[in-house]
Amino acid sequence: MKSLINRFSRWGSRNLLHHDSLGGYFEPVIQLFKPNWRAGLYRAQVSDVSLLLEGVVAINLRVDDRWPIHQAGQHIDLTLEIAGKLVTRVFTVASSPNLAKTKNTIRLVVKIQPEGGLTHQLPVLTRGDWVNISAPRGEFVFEESKQSSLFLAAGSGITPFIAILSSLQKERAIAQPIHLIYYAKPEQHLLVDELNELSQQLPRFTFELMSRAVHGDVYEQLSDYINAKLLVCGPNKFYQSAKEFAKIYDCAISAEHFSLMGITESTTSEFEVSLNGKQLSLKNTSPLLNQLLTLGEHVNYGCKIGICHQCQCTKKSGVVKDIRTGQVSDRSEELIQLCVSQVLTDLELET
Amino acid sequence: MSKVNQPNYALLGEQLDQLKAETMAKVGQEDADHIRKMIVIHRVFEWSGRILLMLGFINPFLWLVGVLSLALAKILDNMEIGHNVMHGQYDWMNDKQINSKAYEWDIACDGGSWNRVHNYEHHTFTNIIGKDRDFGYGLLRLSNDFRWRIKNLWQFATYILLSVMFQWGIAYHELAAERVFFGKKNDTRKSQISAKQLKRKFFSKGAKQLVKDYLLFPLLAGPFFLWVFAGNFLANLIRNLWTSTIIFCGHFTGDVKTFSEQECENETRGQWYYRQALGSSNLKGGNLFHILTGHLSFQIEHHLFPDMPAKRYREVAPKVQLIFAQHSIHYNTGSFIRQYSSVLKRIFRYSFP
Repeated sequence: MKSLINRFSRWGSRNLLHHDSLGGYFEPVIQLFKPNWRAGLYRAQVSDVSLLLEGVVAINLRVDDRWPIHQAGQHIDLTLEIAGKLVTRVFTVASSPNLAKTKNTIRLVVKIQPEGGLTHQLPVLTRGDWVNISAPRGEFVFEESKQSSLFLAAGSGITPFIAILSSLQKERAIAQPIHLIYYAKPEQHLLVDELNELSQQLPRFTFELMSRAVHGDVYEQLSDYINAKLLVCGPNKFYQSAKEFAKIYDCAISAEHFSLMGITESTTSEFEVSLNGKQLSLKNTSPLLNQLLTLGEHVNYGCKIGICHQCQCTKKSGVVKDIRTGQVSDRSEELIQLCVSQVLTDLELET
Repeated sequence: MSKVNQPNYALLGEQLDQLKAETMAKVGQEDADHIRKMIVIHRVFEWSGRILLMLGFINPFLWLVGVLSLALAKILDNMEIGHNVMHGQYDWMNDKQINSKAYEWDIACDGGSWNRVHNYEHHTFTNIIGKDRDFGYGLLRLSNDFRWRIKNLWQFATYILLSVMFQWGIAYHELAAERVFFGKKNDTRKSQISAKQLKRKFFSKGAKQLVKDYLLFPLLAGPFFLWVFAGNFLANLIRNLWTSTIIFCGHFTGDVKTFSEQECENETRGQWYYRQALGSSNLKGGNLFHILTGHLSFQIEHHLFPDMPAKRYREVAPKVQLIFAQHSIHYNTGSFIRQYSSVLKRIFRYSFP
């Protein structure tokens, strides 16, 4: 019955109201009563904001009952309205599913990026502010087994491990030993108090804090763990070292790695551009549209000077520059006009 | 101020680019709030209108208010919301509902078709004879650029008919250009869409609108079928007359200039701005009037900056006027009465050889 009503309402909103959903059609009206309500997203309310270290902020969000509780290790999209513009970034939930279940609360621990469009807004949030979050997703979860586990974290990559370890707390004693090696700059390790507490509560969990300056590359720390299962979360370079080790010693490895793609503007470069899933190699020397047309790709276009928006497409990820104004885009999903966009990083496009 | 015959195109382009950049830098929360507020007002008027139409049996006065309320909603959807959102004026918001890719308006014309003919052809080739079919819509002779034909004798009646059926005129516009049903295909026209797709879109969008206004809502009213049917018909008629009138005032007043294809070859940015300036005309009025016209009362500013959030035209207009004065470019503006009578005169004048 419910699915029948849903189908009917979707049919009605598409054909009669020209919106994908009834919620989408009434969204600005609903927002009068429920601030930040958005079709297809969940609302969450800021309950606490604190600085963990200089440049690292922890935010507690109150989620509503409809939010599908995350599995420890999963991430969410966080969307903020900044000067009228919706900006979205992905963050790992740094708290246990149990906290979400019992107290409707999730925590995010975020490193503020110097050039970030969203992260520098986070310390400005205050209790009671509304934000939007997506349903949780991601495959980076921990499965118990007989095999011992090695967790490798770097920087803010500690967050999924905090979620994973605190989710083990309330459950039966874990079968396998877990060791965590946590890399960060000296004195910059996050949530060390919580790690201490966890190591007291979980008898088979141990951890070490390390830093590159003192201990060298993470690769050098791994020789004792040839038979362990590796879970890695950190910057790309950190992950590469672990991956190399896992390859040589044939260890199981599961990873979540992040890299801010470097912007290349000054030199002539080629970038990987995915257009509706098709991989192309495009240069930063002429607008995207010209190159796509030369390659014989079927894309809509019109004026070619940025007036008519016919060549508009969705940039799912990556950075472009508007060649008319020199304005550099955000990293997350946006509409761009191909005829006036210069590619600055690898891109994912959908027409 | 020194009088010059030809503007300094490079300087004109630079000044207008600068004005655009300055204004776009201010675009933000205020503009997002404005468009959401307009959508809220639209939803309130649309649904009050539709309900009041069904309550006409209690008191016909309620029906009348219903007609006006629904007409107002349709005007808002067409002009301040639809036209402007579909121009990409709010794409920067990253809102899933309010952007030029997703938005579809509540009129018979398929949004995609309108985007091609209006956003691309009309806004790129404004008033270039042979390239901008909006100049006379292929029905009216509005300048000596077109050869006089017998049918022009009764073009005033054609104009009235076009205004009454305006949404259907707009819906059929691209199909006429592509000679989908009648006429010989124009070889110089390059289309990115097939005649078959055009037909399918035309019929499916048209049918949805007809079923909604003339079948579904009247049926919901049960015994008051005809009240609702007539109310919807009137609301659509009012919207058609209003939009047609405003749009005619924007491009077909007496002083508006036309251009030839040769003149516009290898046009610079400054020359493009110049053509937009001479090809458009404004209407003076209050803020409510501006909103009801979708800020097309600032047709000149709209043609200079088609993807700037339209409410910003109010603050940009005096600056544009100053720049025009500096280059001795005529800033074509006037009261609604003055501009509209000038349009009617033009239609009448070119009815004859």
